[in-house]
Amino acid sequence: MVEPTVLVVDDSPTVRKIVQMTLQREHIRVITASDGLSALTSVADEIPAVILLDIQLPRMDGYHICQIIRKNLQFRQIPIIMLSGKDGLFDKMRGRLSGSTEYLTKPFDSVELVQTVKKHLVDWQSRMPVRNQDMRPRLRRRG
Amino acid sequence: MEPQDRIMDGDLQTLGLQSILKMLALSGKTGTLLVHSGPETLVISLRKGQLVALHEEGVPPSDVLGMLCLINKLDPPRAHGLREASQGNLQLAFRMMAEQGWMSASEMQQRLEFAVMQSISHALRWVEGRFAFHRQVMTMESYMQPLDVDSVLLEALRQADEWEEVGESALTRTTVSRWLPEVSKDVRSLGLNQEHIDVLCLSNGEIPLQGMAQALLLPEARVAHIMARLLELHLIEVVDTSLEADLQQDLSNIIIMCQHTLAQQRQNTTPVQHLLGLIHTLGQCINGLLIHHGTYAKSLRGRGQLPISEIVRYLERRFSQPLHTLARQQSPILETVTFANGQIDYNEVVNLDSLVKGEQLEAFYWEAVLGLNSFMRTIFSTLLQDEVGNSHTGRQLNIVWKAFMTEVEQEIQQYQLYRAHQNVQQNHTNTNNRRTDALPNGPINNMPGNQQWSPETQRRLI
Repeated sequence: MVEPTVLVVDDSPTVRKIVQMTLQREHIRVITASDGLSALTSVADEIPAVILLDIQLPRMDGYHICQIIRKNLQFRQIPIIMLSGKDGLFDKMRGRLSGSTEYLTKPFDSVELVQTVKKHLVDWQSRMPVRNQDMRPRLRRRG
Repeated sequence: MEPQDRIMDGDLQTLGLQSILKMLALSGKTGTLLVHSGPETLVISLRKGQLVALHEEGVPPSDVLGMLCLINKLDPPRAHGLREASQGNLQLAFRMMAEQGWMSASEMQQRLEFAVMQSISHALRWVEGRFAFHRQVMTMESYMQPLDVDSVLLEALRQADEWEEVGESALTRTTVSRWLPEVSKDVRSLGLNQEHIDVLCLSNGEIPLQGMAQALLLPEARVAHIMARLLELHLIEVVDTSLEADLQQDLSNIIIMCQHTLAQQRQNTTPVQHLLGLIHTLGQCINGLLIHHGTYAKSLRGRGQLPISEIVRYLERRFSQPLHTLARQQSPILETVTFANGQIDYNEVVNLDSLVKGEQLEAFYWEAVLGLNSFMRTIFSTLLQDEVGNSHTGRQLNIVWKAFMTEVEQEIQQYQLYRAHQNVQQNHTNTNNRRTDALPNGPINNMPGNQQWSPETQRRLI
C-alpha cells in the first residue's frame, strides 16, 4: 500500500513540474529539489526509491551529488537516473563513473521517463530502510 | 500463496461468486478467496465463514481523502497529514480519523462495509473469470468488524440489479466526468438536490464514478443515475481518460522540448543572439502548440482521419485573428509573421539582420519577442480551454505552463535589465561628455555591463 517516492532534482521549475505531473499520474509520489544541498537533505529525510538528477545544478553539480550519495552506506543502493542536455559519450561515461544507474538525455519523452523510472522501482521496497514503515507517530504529533 | 494451500478453484461460468461465497460461509471456512476477471482481482478474507477483509486489485486507487475535502468533510491540511501517515492505506486513514474524532466510529465501520459491498456487487456481475480458495489467510490489515456473508450478498445483489437498469446509459464505474467549461449559471436554480450537487462537486475530470460512490456513501448505480441527469442538463461531460492522457503527454513533450531549447539559447553571449534565441524558442513552442491543437481540438475529434487542408483551415481561422490584433495593437513587427500550412512562418523576423544592424535590429527583435510571447500565451490558453477546460488535467497543465512561462519571463527580464543598464550608462556618458567608446556596444561578455546578467546567467555562460 505504501507509495514509492521519486526525488526530482533540477534547477528548472518546468522540468520539476512536468516530471511531477507525469509520475503522479502513475501513482508515484514525487518530491523535488532545485539544488544540490536541498537534494541531499531530501535524500536523508525521505529516502526516495529513485532519484532523477540533473547534471547542471547551482553550486554543486549532479556528478558530485551522485558521488556523495554513492559513498553513503545507507543510501548507496538508491538508483540514480541522470538527466542531461548533453548526450555525448564523454558525458555519459562521466555520469557512469560518478555512480549513476542510468542516463536520460533531455529533451526526454514522457513515456520513456515513466518506463525508465518504473524499471528502477521494481523491488524498491526491499531497498528501503525500516524507519519509513510506520509513520503514525508523526500524525499524532501534528494533532 | 502456495499452490498446496489451495482447497478449490474453478471457472466463474461454472460456479458464480454468489454460490462460492454462500458455500464457504455455510461451511464456516477460514481462508482467502481470490477472484480474477480480466485485469481485476478481488481478494476476500474469510474467518469462520465471516467476511473479515477485502482488497481490490487492478482498479486505480481513489483519493477518498481528497474527495472528502471537496465535499467539506475534511480539511485539506488534515487530509495531507493523514495521507502521509497512512501511506495510501485508506482503512488506516479512516481509523486515524476515528481516533482523532474527525469521523465517528460508526461512520468508519459504515464506510468500510460500504466499500466491501460495492466491490462484491461489482464482482457479482462478472461472467468470465476464475476463482481459487486458499486455506491460508492472506495478511491484510483490516479495521472492519466481521461481516455476515448473507447480508452482504443480499445488499450487493440489490445494488447489482440497480446497475443492470443503468446499463443502457454506457456509464461504468470507471467513468470520469467533469464540469463543462461553458457552465456559468447558479446550479441551485436548476432544482438539484444535495446528492446531485455533491456529484457535481466531484466531477473534476479526475474522480471515477466508483470513487464518488465511495466518498458520498451512495451506491454506484445511484451515482450513475445522477451523472446521467447532470449530463442531460449539460452541466458535465464524460472524459475520455485515454485521450486526455495522450493529450497531456503530448503537451508535456512539447513543453520539455521548448524548455530545452530555452536552456540551450542561454549560452548565447550577445544581446542580439539572446533575443534571436528567444524568438526561435517562442516560434518553436508556438508551432508545437499549433500541431498539437490540430490533433486534439475538440471540434476535430471523433471525425476519423481528416484532410490536412481542413486542419490547416481550422487553425488559421482560429489563430490568425489574434495574431493580427497583436500586430495592430502591440507589436507591428508581427505583421511579417504569416501562417503557412497551419504553422507560423517567422523567417522574415529572423532574417532582419540582412536589412538592419545594431540597435535597430535589437529593437526589432525585442518587439518580436514581446509579440510572440503574447501570442504564445493566447494560443495556450485557447487550446487548453478548448481541449480540457477547467479539469484536473487542465489545472495540472496550467501549473506546468506557468513554470515554463516563469523561465521565459526571467530571460526577458534579463534583457530588460541589460537595456536599463545600457540607458543609464548612456545618460551618464552624455552628462559627463565622456568618450563614446566607454559605451557597451560590443559583445556582452567583453563589456563593463557584463555584471548586469544575473549570477545564474553568468554561471551558465561560464
